[in-house]
Amino acid sequence: MTITSLAGRPRARRTAAARSPIATLIDLLSRPQASYYLVIGTTSLLLVLGLIMVLSASSVTSFDSSGSSFTIAGRQALWVVIGMPALLVAARLPVKAYRMLAYPLMLASIVLLFAVLVPGVGQNVSGATRWIALPGGMQLQPSEPAKLALVLWGADLLTRKEKLLADTKHLLVPLLPMALLMAGLVMVEPDMGTTIVLVLVLLALLFTAGAQLGLFAKLGLSLGGLAGLLAIAEPYRMQRLVGFRDPCAKQHALSVGYQACQGLYAISSGGWFGVGLGGSREKFGYLPNTYTDYIFAIIGEELGLLGTLLVLALFGLLAYASIRIAQRCRDRFSQLATAGVTAWLLGQALVNMGAVVGLLPITGIPLPLVSFGGSALVPTMFAIGMLISFARCEPTTAKALAARRAARGRRSARLAWSR
Amino acid sequence: MLMSLIAARLVQLQGVDRATYAVAAAAQRLHTVTLTATRGMITDRSGHPLAETIDARDIVADPSEITNPAKVADVLAPVLQIKRATLVRELTGTNQYSRLAAAVSPAEGDAVDALNLAGISTPDASRRIYPDGALASNVVGFVGASGQGLGGLELSYQRQLAGRNGVAHYEVGANGAPIPDGRDLTTAAKAGEGLRLTLQRDIQFEAQQAITAQVKATHALSGTVIVMNPRNGQVLALAVAPGFDPNDLSKASSADLGDPAVSDAYEPGSVIKSVTVSAALQNGLVTPKSKFVIPSSLSYGGSRFHDAENHGTEHLTLTGILAYSSNIGAIEIAKRVGDQRLYDYLRAFGFGQPTGVGLPGESAGVLLPVDQWSGTTLPTLAFGQGLSVTAMQVASLYSTIANNGVRVTPNIVEGTIGSNGQLKRVAAPHRQQVISPDVAAKMRQILESVTTNEGTAPAARIPGYRIAGKTGTANRANGHGGYTGAGYDATFVGMVPADDPKLVCEVVLERPIRGYFGGLVAAPVFKTVMSFALRTLGIAPTFTKPAKAKLTW
Repeated sequence: MTITSLAGRPRARRTAAARSPIATLIDLLSRPQASYYLVIGTTSLLLVLGLIMVLSASSVTSFDSSGSSFTIAGRQALWVVIGMPALLVAARLPVKAYRMLAYPLMLASIVLLFAVLVPGVGQNVSGATRWIALPGGMQLQPSEPAKLALVLWGADLLTRKEKLLADTKHLLVPLLPMALLMAGLVMVEPDMGTTIVLVLVLLALLFTAGAQLGLFAKLGLSLGGLAGLLAIAEPYRMQRLVGFRDPCAKQHALSVGYQACQGLYAISSGGWFGVGLGGSREKFGYLPNTYTDYIFAIIGEELGLLGTLLVLALFGLLAYASIRIAQRCRDRFSQLATAGVTAWLLGQALVNMGAVVGLLPITGIPLPLVSFGGSALVPTMFAIGMLISFARCEPTTAKALAARRAARGRRSARLAWSR
Repeated sequence: MLMSLIAARLVQLQGVDRATYAVAAAAQRLHTVTLTATRGMITDRSGHPLAETIDARDIVADPSEITNPAKVADVLAPVLQIKRATLVRELTGTNQYSRLAAAVSPAEGDAVDALNLAGISTPDASRRIYPDGALASNVVGFVGASGQGLGGLELSYQRQLAGRNGVAHYEVGANGAPIPDGRDLTTAAKAGEGLRLTLQRDIQFEAQQAITAQVKATHALSGTVIVMNPRNGQVLALAVAPGFDPNDLSKASSADLGDPAVSDAYEPGSVIKSVTVSAALQNGLVTPKSKFVIPSSLSYGGSRFHDAENHGTEHLTLTGILAYSSNIGAIEIAKRVGDQRLYDYLRAFGFGQPTGVGLPGESAGVLLPVDQWSGTTLPTLAFGQGLSVTAMQVASLYSTIANNGVRVTPNIVEGTIGSNGQLKRVAAPHRQQVISPDVAAKMRQILESVTTNEGTAPAARIPGYRIAGKTGTANRANGHGGYTGAGYDATFVGMVPADDPKLVCEVVLERPIRGYFGGLVAAPVFKTVMSFALRTLGIAPTFTKPAKAKLTW
């Protein structure tokens, strides 16, 4: 009922109790600041759940490698502490500031994406060169801020070209080549998952910009063909594709299907309500990447169907709120950037969860806001801050929030007086 | 759309079909370990260990983890004292388990651990040891490589000694370490019960020394000594030569691993005359002073019987018949007893059936029922041929005479010792009056004459003590339906003190070559062992004088 009390619409509050819950919900969602609170609410819940689950999932690995169960989770908490100001600042930034950020960020990303491929700069971890070492043992994954860069730059570009977009050439150039350059650089690392996310962001930008369905069909076909070629080119990708059909089959369970199979073991062991927080067995060395890419499996094991559906619902709500923002915002850049962020976060979440439940092949990307990893978390939190900022661009929302602040001021004044 | 697909898949995985993967997941982390129950100890009557289980270590290699077998073998060979080439062979390969050495000492295991070799581990094991080596090994028995009792009491009491292995099911992580707070179903092992024997270690040792020496001296095939307390049937010593060392079965001949005292049936000879005479006395057919005319030979059932030494017609008393061990005299007495009665007494004294002493592989011997007898069965049985017996059965016969006619089932296990350390006695041995106390006393008096200078076994005499006993020198069956050329089995069985017997001792030598009369080869062993046993047990002489019995008339 927190939302009701903050609503600043006393008439609605009086009648809410008398109506059916669904009607109440519709009423709540129809309020101007609903998306604002939905973004804040879902993000907070996912962040908190993420911290708890990173602690649980990493405790065994952490204890084995450092002697303390809290080392890895502590690092993640530190990242949240770093990400929180980024989110708060982003939530206050005006649209103009984001547009100003677009080109520098894009430039930096391209440079970093090239840099990571330079031997000696990029760090090779289990066959992939995705990280740049930073002082203090930290690592930077350039492909994570690159997603944000593509969103901002693409949105800015398409906003500038708004009047020319009827021409397909203007729609695609230079957005498509730049996006493909980024995707290509990420692909070379190799990082299939992030490549997919970048392509999803590109498609979302084009869709929001009003591209024709025929164009999507052409793009889809050519990208599909490219993906097919890439899969055949790399044996391990092909194996993942083969293994994902039935990862627990005898010939796969200990080789290509191992991680996928252990993930299914974890999820199924959870059942309806899970084995209990902290009770995961798979985290004892069976399931790899428990606190990064496969944290959803540990959520499934410890919290059961209840937990997994909750996470799914939270991402759904976040997507719903984002789409609402995109629809209600008059500003073109805000619409495009919101669509890009939505495609990024939701796309990444679905590709991640889809792989864990065995519907998609494993591509090795983290679950946004939940998985361990600062390079991903800080840009994500910044993007969430941006969503919050855009949510306030709805004219009515801004008014409602101002009213709330005023009401809070009156309340404290009353309190002071009564004393 | 993808979202609802994922949701549907989640419902399928976690709700509807969760058993498929959850069961496999549970199976992959469930680890089952057998908790080995410690095998019980076997001790003599005062608790000295004869067999015990000690901690040991196995030396195990995982060849798949060993990259340089030659180098590892170089290091291990001197520590384990195994040939380097053997080790290299064991360490090479792709298999994951190879036991290099079984049940080595914990110190040796620690030494291997200290080498810190990858792929070499030293899991806990246990080892059955026999601290006194060959002492009583024929009774105690031995175990196989897996610790399973394979002979002697180790075999017949396998169930009690072994206890019950426990089992632990617990969840392990991928590295094999148990998961904290994981499922843990452990059934603890139940340690095996200890076994306390009636054997007296020192007497056993003396008996074993004496019989081993005599077997060697007489070139006998084997020898047996049984020392028994006639009052309660307890076996104080059961020595066999040649024996074996259960610590090292590789040096033992498989023929020596049993216990011939209960498993070998042989024709006993003259020691059986005591049954014939007891039956006659009990039925009032004779008295110790009854007079017999003994011809030089006697026809019965179409055969002609002689005594061991040729003689003319002799005039012997009943006592004299036993003192001189006259076969013809025994036949004369048996004729008076009759077929059925002789058979009944043989059965009552325990022949033709296992004694029930509790050792594995006990033979019943052979005693044909009367309806299968031929014309010569009665006279041959009268002096102990034509039936086969075990040494234990003969010891039991003389124990019965010593114990005032009450036959007590011989027993060698006093009881089991449970986890609380308390002795749980086995059921009291069966007792049965076979002859009256009066007849038994008369028998002892008669048998005392055997150890006089006129008797067959003066060599059995121990200064200060009155000794009753009987010799036996039996023809050995040659396996072709006759006795020619097969040699003799020599026996002396006696009791002391004769007027109040505390101990019975039987000595059997199988086919001695240097001397073969029971009174000459077996009686000295009796004297050695009994002298020691009397001292050890503090049995005082009775200071009574035997009545001078007339042997002839």
